[in-house]
Amino acid sequence: MKKKNWNLILGTVITSIMLLLIVVGFFFTPYDSQQMNIDLKLASPSLAHPLGCDHFGRDILSRVMEGAGTTFFVAIGTVLLGCVIGIIMGAVTGYFGGILDEILMRLNDALFAFPSILLALVFISLFGSGKYNVILALGIAFVPSFARIVRSEFLRCKSLDYVRAARLAGASHLRIMFVHILPNILPVLLSSLMIGFNNAVLAEASMSYLGIGVQPPDSSLGMMLSEAQTYLFRAPWYVLAPGVAIVLLILGFALLAESINKKK
Amino acid sequence: MKAILKKLITMIITLFIVSFLVFLAFSVIPGDPALSKLGTQATPEALEALREEMGLNEPFFTRYFTWIGSFFTGDMGTSYSYGIPVSELIMDKLPITLVLTGIALVIMMVFTVLLGIYAARHEGGIIDRILMVVNQIIMAVPAFFAGIIICFVFGLILKWFTPGAFVSYEKDFGGFVAYLIAPAVAIALPKCAMASKLLRSSLIEQGNMDYIRTAYSRGNTTKGVLYRHALRNAMIPVVTFWAMAYTDMIAGSVVIEQVFGIPGIGRILLTGISNRDYPVVMAIICLLALFIIVANTLVDLIYKWIDPRMRDNG
Amino acid sequence: MKTKRRLILLVSVLMTLTIALSACSGDKEDSNASEITIGIPQDIEDTLDPHKILAAGTKEIFFNIYEGLVKPDSDGNLNPAVASDYKISADKKVYTFTLRDGVKFHDGSTVTVEDVKFSIDKCADTSNGEPLVAAFSNIENVAVVDEKTIEITLANPDSDFLSYMTTAIIPASNDKADSVAIGTGPYKYVSRSPQENIILARFDEYWGEKANIEKVTLQIIADSDMIVMNLRSGAIDMFCRVSAAQAAELSGTSYKVLEGTMNLVQAMYLNNAVAPFDDVRVRQALCYAVDRQEILDFMADGQGTIIGSSMYPAFGKYYMEELSTYYSKDIDKAKQLLADAGYADGFSFTLTVPSNYQQHIDTAQVIVEQLKDINVNAKIELVEWDTWLSEVYSGRNYEATVVGVDASQLTASALLKRFNSEAGNNFINFNSKAYDTAYANALAGITDEEQTSYYKECERILCEEAANVYIQDLACLVALSDRYAGYEFYPLYVQDFSKLYIVE
Repeated sequence: MKKKNWNLILGTVITSIMLLLIVVGFFFTPYDSQQMNIDLKLASPSLAHPLGCDHFGRDILSRVMEGAGTTFFVAIGTVLLGCVIGIIMGAVTGYFGGILDEILMRLNDALFAFPSILLALVFISLFGSGKYNVILALGIAFVPSFARIVRSEFLRCKSLDYVRAARLAGASHLRIMFVHILPNILPVLLSSLMIGFNNAVLAEASMSYLGIGVQPPDSSLGMMLSEAQTYLFRAPWYVLAPGVAIVLLILGFALLAESINKKK
Repeated sequence: MKAILKKLITMIITLFIVSFLVFLAFSVIPGDPALSKLGTQATPEALEALREEMGLNEPFFTRYFTWIGSFFTGDMGTSYSYGIPVSELIMDKLPITLVLTGIALVIMMVFTVLLGIYAARHEGGIIDRILMVVNQIIMAVPAFFAGIIICFVFGLILKWFTPGAFVSYEKDFGGFVAYLIAPAVAIALPKCAMASKLLRSSLIEQGNMDYIRTAYSRGNTTKGVLYRHALRNAMIPVVTFWAMAYTDMIAGSVVIEQVFGIPGIGRILLTGISNRDYPVVMAIICLLALFIIVANTLVDLIYKWIDPRMRDNG
Repeated sequence: MKTKRRLILLVSVLMTLTIALSACSGDKEDSNASEITIGIPQDIEDTLDPHKILAAGTKEIFFNIYEGLVKPDSDGNLNPAVASDYKISADKKVYTFTLRDGVKFHDGSTVTVEDVKFSIDKCADTSNGEPLVAAFSNIENVAVVDEKTIEITLANPDSDFLSYMTTAIIPASNDKADSVAIGTGPYKYVSRSPQENIILARFDEYWGEKANIEKVTLQIIADSDMIVMNLRSGAIDMFCRVSAAQAAELSGTSYKVLEGTMNLVQAMYLNNAVAPFDDVRVRQALCYAVDRQEILDFMADGQGTIIGSSMYPAFGKYYMEELSTYYSKDIDKAKQLLADAGYADGFSFTLTVPSNYQQHIDTAQVIVEQLKDINVNAKIELVEWDTWLSEVYSGRNYEATVVGVDASQLTASALLKRFNSEAGNNFINFNSKAYDTAYANALAGITDEEQTSYYKECERILCEEAANVYIQDLACLVALSDRYAGYEFYPLYVQDFSKLYIVE
């Protein structure tokens, strides 16, 4: 095919820029993201502060860099947690079936029927606020969708020839599940991982909006966005910065997921 | 028939698990509904009396079975924060959320079909590309932010509606529906983007199928092939997506109701959680769960009916 | 072909439906009646019984519906209301009230002495433990003297008792007070829709000056971020207590922002029973490390009043302005005090803040930054209001918290009673013999001057002992549309809608 894969190129460029911002932000930010300065309260963008300053006179660029890092961390954590538990649940139920399948899938359905906001609220009330609990809450809410995908893939694969062959060769169940089947479903898993990542970023933003997300002094993009909207009329750039950052973060991964799907 | 019966039984079991989890969750989180009601003026005696009155001193399982028992007889208890029966409260607020998500569903369906077909027919064209990019961006915007932008642009600048001026359906049904259109658009947008993308790729995929090629070779027009053969098959995954998207919309209306100041089920649920209004919260969650479980079961059954390959390993 | 036609049919039906539904809006009810829509941040409580309500947000609205024998005005004076006159015996034990002629309840019946006796007896009833109004436990006897006169005898002298006679008078015949609101105020209750609105209508047979606006709709706006949007769009005409940031967002619109005081004591309340806050030097060090003016600048562009003790300016004679400058920012002194207390390298603590009060969260964030200068690391933990109530307020299981404490009555004791070492609501575990003595003396004081001086001593002790890090009485900003005027600030947590009028 001579047509260039624009999705892949754009996705890679956007994701690299965001990742670069996050990695650099981890070691270095132009200013201390916590440093308050009354003279710079809601200062508009300037050479010294390219994205302006927030309502405490803190540099928005530094805060976006740090906030993007937190958001990234929360989203990755959520997806990994949901994915690992989901893979185990899905693999066991899909491969073995039977009564265990019934029990686990009922639990899965029950979890699926829980609005994730309530689940998050219960967790946060129980274990206190903070990014780790947000990850825990969202991660558990994400388990059912992963478990379903993995289960149906395992169902499909377990009767395929290569699995039968492995079984005849005397491979253990564990080996068949994780060495033979799992690598074969990775492409499917990878694209749902990326979609899961995007959903996690959006969910974190919604939780911040409802006041149950990451807590200060930590900042995430979602929290910055919901804080900034109070200043929509006076300091539109304050709203724009985290808003655009969220869109870019998600867009990059969405385009990458798209290009993976195309190749398949 | 047996399969359906089995589905129904598992559905009921799932519901029980949900109700138990909900009840358990609200028994372990800190915060005392009696104290919440009395506020900063609470005296230990008054608190104890109120706890007794609210039945909070009973053992856990007694409370659970009392609750689940009366729930199935239609008695959902009395709201702590509004002093009216929960069923009355839900009957009052449910129409709001149903109309809101109903309008959103209609918007989603109409635009999915229009955009999806247009994009598929002009695959690779400039409008198709623009649509794809716009779709991707829409999917990347958090719901509450989209709501705020809609309020700002269509409410404050264009003045198409008045953000915050919700009218009750009992007072002015037309005005009520008119007010719900903007929030419904906010709910429908991301789903619409996803569904039209799905329909587009599904249509294109169908276009490459052998039977479509055969149809072309028989001398059918593009239009005829598209509508008669391809669309019908291409709609199958889209329809199941719509069903799932609708349950998502109901859960997602919590955020949008907050942004647009709509006193629907989502708002009642959210304030109920922070006020520890257990009867209200548990009833709403269980109803939502019931709804989602029934919807999922239906989607499952439809899947099996459409795709026989799924039948043997349910 | 069938599919196509069906599809087109479906689409067109749905489209028509949408358009038809949206088109039939428009004609609203005629707007001859004067009305105002006021945004409120939360719904009212489940009961309409004025004696049972507890939430400040409900009380301030019910101020328009119910009245007592006396009623506070915007200067903080108690004026006769349902009573036309009152006499207090020299020993402050017998209070005699004369009923005003022809005061009507909202249901049209006339207020009688029996209704008054019923209302007071109801609030003094001890059969369920504590009486509804705690101060009424002091009542020995309520006697009907004649058709117009009622006499209340107290067991012990209480000079503050009159301020409790603001307790609502309700008809003895209303046995459904929980769901039927009948009072004597300038507005009567019409209806409510949970999480949507509460509607009040003018009471045309009100005994005093009647309200100007006929219909008041209280619209609940649960999302504080939408307040500005709803004001700008014209969905609401007024919002009491907007933040300074929101007020600034309204500049250049048809809204004016009126400034008053919030009438609460915002402080970083410290649990005096846990280390290191059990050491007075540590508490004082925190007071020296916090720059109050900077907090005001960040939060409200400098608006608000810095305070130094548990008392705010609206209290007039009890307020001691000099205490507000008792601690001024002095990092060296703060470090010295910490070193003396054995914390030369600083320490860490958790600052628990209710998540529903943005002004307290903002203050906490600034304090955290300021305390870094003396190597004190505070970590903010946001909790829901409900968790705050159970864990911090009643459980006293916390280190420090930032909240605002208000007064339910215009008496100094309403603010100072809680710091008694024995007080049930002494959530900071303040324990000072000197304070207990001073407070007891104030209560026993015969003359007003004597009492005032003891109350002032209480305030001074709270300040010198650095019971809490006192911050400010927040600026109270009211956003009001240009089309209305007449808003009055009260020294209490109430809203008076009856004085509002439409500007022609």
